[in-house]
Amino acid sequence: MQQQATLHLARPKSALLAIAMPVLTAALLGAVIVYGMGFSPIAAAHNAAHDTRHVNVFPCH
Amino acid sequence: MLFRRIVLCALLVGALAGLLVSAVQHWQAIPLIAAAEVFEGSAEPAATAATAHDHDHAHDDAHAHDAAEWAPEDGTERHVLTAIANVLTAIGFGLVLVAAITTWEHLLGRPLASARSGLVWGAAGWLCVFGLPTLGLPPELPGSVAAPLGDRQAWWLLAACSGAAGLALLAFVRGPKRWLGLAVIALPFVVGAPHLAGGPFAGYEIGIARQMETLAAPFAIATTIATAVQWLALGGLSGWAVARWVRPALADLAQTP
Repeated sequence: MQQQATLHLARPKSALLAIAMPVLTAALLGAVIVYGMGFSPIAAAHNAAHDTRHVNVFPCH
Repeated sequence: MLFRRIVLCALLVGALAGLLVSAVQHWQAIPLIAAAEVFEGSAEPAATAATAHDHDHAHDDAHAHDAAEWAPEDGTERHVLTAIANVLTAIGFGLVLVAAITTWEHLLGRPLASARSGLVWGAAGWLCVFGLPTLGLPPELPGSVAAPLGDRQAWWLLAACSGAAGLALLAFVRGPKRWLGLAVIALPFVVGAPHLAGGPFAGYEIGIARQMETLAAPFAIATTIATAVQWLALGGLSGWAVARWVRPALADLAQTP
């Protein structure tokens, strides 16, 4: 396994598959929340999170 | 089981980091935003229209964004909503961090997650979503004039994603291929961040533009500190939470074939 040699994985590929679903779902959920807070074009969402957007330097207005 | 643990950890980590950053920014960044909003909307309409700013209305309003839309009242309502938005944003970042640290520990098969290693993850996160995007798109005060929003959002996403991919290559790949990571990190800067000629305060009277310029540098420092505090807290807490609550779930997983 070329890839395992270069990445120095201690576990076989099956270990990655075992956690892939929960880990990817969690990361995707996180990305959706950040999008809603920082990038959503809905005006009410922008206004409510306005100062958060500016401080996190999400592009705003 | 694993998913539930990751989510619960992220909720805890995000709540703590979000409240912490709310306290920090309340005394440093928020007053600067409030000061800039006094000037916001005093730009000359002709100049603003010429810069393709995506709001072409309400420039006589002190708070020029979407004046017709609902917005929180200044004061308690706004502060509370900002704190809630900070907590939610931190939970979102926390989910990604906890998931990443969990994957790292599981794939390398050693108890790596800790508050200390979490700080390194937090620093990497800060670099991806603040450090690198800010090099191309400096922190904006309310009232700043800038390139169209969609362009800046797309570039921000590009900078953050290439930062994450580049750092991952540098950190996890052995051999000469890892140096491709530097090229990946540099890619958004080769593309170039969207900017308008004339700078962020074009269209304001010269006196007002000068006053806004004096706010810009302290605002850049304030956002740097606030986001650094947020990310170090997120990283340290995430590492600690993974070691404490996610590790047992990973051990269960390893035992069941």
